[in-house]
Amino acid sequence: MGNSKHLGLYLLAPAGIFVILFFLAPVILTGIFGFTNMSTATGITGGSYMVSESSMRPLRSHFGEEALADQLMQRVYTIDEAGLQAAAEAGGDAAAIRELEARFLGQSFDRRRDVEVAIKSLNARPSSTRAIKLISAEFERSVVNTRFDTPEEMLAAIAGFGIVLNNAQTEALVDVAYTGWTFTTQNFKTMLELPDTKKTLINTLFYVFATLILFNTGFALVLSISTHYMPSRPAGFFRSIWLLPRVTPPVLYVLMWKWLAWDTGFLSVILEPLGFAPRNWMLDTPANAWTFIILINGIVGASMGMLIFSSAIKAIPPALFHASEVDGATRRQQIWHIILPQLRWPILFITIYQTLSLLTSFEYILLATDGGPGGATEVWALSTYLKALSNYGGALQYGYGAALSLVLVVIGISVSLIYLKLFDFKNLTAPPKIE
Amino acid sequence: MSGNYRKWPIILFLGVLTAPLILMYIYLFVDTITNTPPGSMIPNEFTLEHWRLLTETIPGRPSIWLATWNTFVFATATTAIVLAVSSSAGYALSRLQLPARSFFLGGIMVLHAFPTVTLLIAIFLILQMLGLYNSLIGVILVKSALELPFGIWIMKGFYDTVPWEIEMAGIQDGATRFQVWTKLVLPQVKPAILALGIFSFLAGWSEFVLPLVLAPDNKVQVLSVYLAALIADDQNFDMALFKSVGVFYVIPVIILFVFFQNRLMNIYSGGTKG
Repeated sequence: MGNSKHLGLYLLAPAGIFVILFFLAPVILTGIFGFTNMSTATGITGGSYMVSESSMRPLRSHFGEEALADQLMQRVYTIDEAGLQAAAEAGGDAAAIRELEARFLGQSFDRRRDVEVAIKSLNARPSSTRAIKLISAEFERSVVNTRFDTPEEMLAAIAGFGIVLNNAQTEALVDVAYTGWTFTTQNFKTMLELPDTKKTLINTLFYVFATLILFNTGFALVLSISTHYMPSRPAGFFRSIWLLPRVTPPVLYVLMWKWLAWDTGFLSVILEPLGFAPRNWMLDTPANAWTFIILINGIVGASMGMLIFSSAIKAIPPALFHASEVDGATRRQQIWHIILPQLRWPILFITIYQTLSLLTSFEYILLATDGGPGGATEVWALSTYLKALSNYGGALQYGYGAALSLVLVVIGISVSLIYLKLFDFKNLTAPPKIE
Repeated sequence: MSGNYRKWPIILFLGVLTAPLILMYIYLFVDTITNTPPGSMIPNEFTLEHWRLLTETIPGRPSIWLATWNTFVFATATTAIVLAVSSSAGYALSRLQLPARSFFLGGIMVLHAFPTVTLLIAIFLILQMLGLYNSLIGVILVKSALELPFGIWIMKGFYDTVPWEIEMAGIQDGATRFQVWTKLVLPQVKPAILALGIFSFLAGWSEFVLPLVLAPDNKVQVLSVYLAALIADDQNFDMALFKSVGVFYVIPVIILFVFFQNRLMNIYSGGTKG
């Protein structure tokens, strides 16, 4: 039987690879990325070193190196071999370039105007201003906007311009000139400082608890108890209908709600004769937006509770119901004293399970309101998506988005562990019988 | 169920609550083959113009048939991977002696409850680094991985119900554990494999967020992303066209739902995200 030990591992190996690649690695990487300033601007692999307008800003403000920044940003115009050749290739006047080489080779000018004055002083000077500018442009020399792979290359280039740096300046410059991502705790400070965070948090709590109480448990109980008191045919019909929203692909399901709420849609047409102007009912006020969001999510969520509660009710011995009826119990008493006590565990299960999925899923909100109107329905999970992955915002802040998700990942892991503790783990791990 | 109570009030009550939902589904189908005058809800003519999308490609969008093919490849490949990996891992967890077995079981259960969407940003960056961004392969691997904990859990549950005697008898007759698994146990769990297969296919067919983030390109676009992009385009607002694309998209789902409703009910109550 020693063989079967290995068989088990072989059979488990593919699952293990998937788990490591797409669960373990992402969890760890979310933790790492959350502590970086990674974004579309920094790229995700690595960076280079570059003196630019934006990298000089922290040098001025944070390090107070005004003079150095000005010096680095300065352009110099040098008449050299490379420039002459480039001017010839760009289609500059050949005679003018030859004369420029003979008279000015090796000279430097601080301003472009001075180079152009020099060109105008040539005997073979080009006739048009455009032709002069064409030549003068090729002699501009500066470190600005040139990418260097290593800090040494950048420092050497800077030294080539005769700019001398002390140690502190070198350190500061290498720091600000790096274009790749770096490690930082700034994301979490930003999260605590931004007023948006608090609003998103309140939105999230409201959304999760309202949907959970009204629909995922409340309405699910209504559905399962009312179908319990029906003959099996209508009961089966109602359960199928209420399962449809879960089976319908989310994009289509939300489209149906949009049809209901659109300014030429069902509600507008029905309510117009009653004196309500047609409008987009889903997006006109925050209260309406929330109503739709909770309905859309709640009806999908209720179907799961409905199925689980229904099968728990079915497991109650029918004799219990018959006996109570003989004793004259009303329907309300049956629900209160027989059905609900049986549903204690299923309700706990649904509550924990759905809290977690409501907290982290944003698919329906993204499709329905996209967080609108004006961020009124933006919940935490949606905000991680919008910050890090939505193209509309322009620059994608991977690092900040990961920091926001890290909060959810930590909650997710802790609640999953509670779930594991609560639901009878011992029974599930009874050892195999053939060994 | 219980004979002594009147039933019609409760049927009426639930009927009133259910009516709007039924209405939404009826109008979904009716609007694709009719025109309705503005300001009214009653259609006044029959038309097939909303279905022109099947023969014409909308400018700037992939052909709907390409998107359908991508969706099919995505859902089928995901199902195949989920079935292969969970039927083997589920058997190992249910029946075989493993080192740290309870650790694996606990791990699968935690992963099952764990909200995977929170990992989206990290997964996006991993695919970028691996060069699998904007490819069907990448998004298939990710979707399969995220379905696996559920699949393994379900399969383990079904293996647990297979009587030990079958395996004991196989071993007695000289079969190896591997042969016992493939020849004796797998045929016993065929209904489970079918149910999980349908479930995974539907999950793949309906998936929206993963392809939206990981493979948004026209070449690899799936129907959900195609339809969402159509709806999001403010320039061409045509609700009847959206609904036609939606009905076209949902046909396989309806067929599977009608035929396998009871199996699906069982598996949905086993717990899914949402």
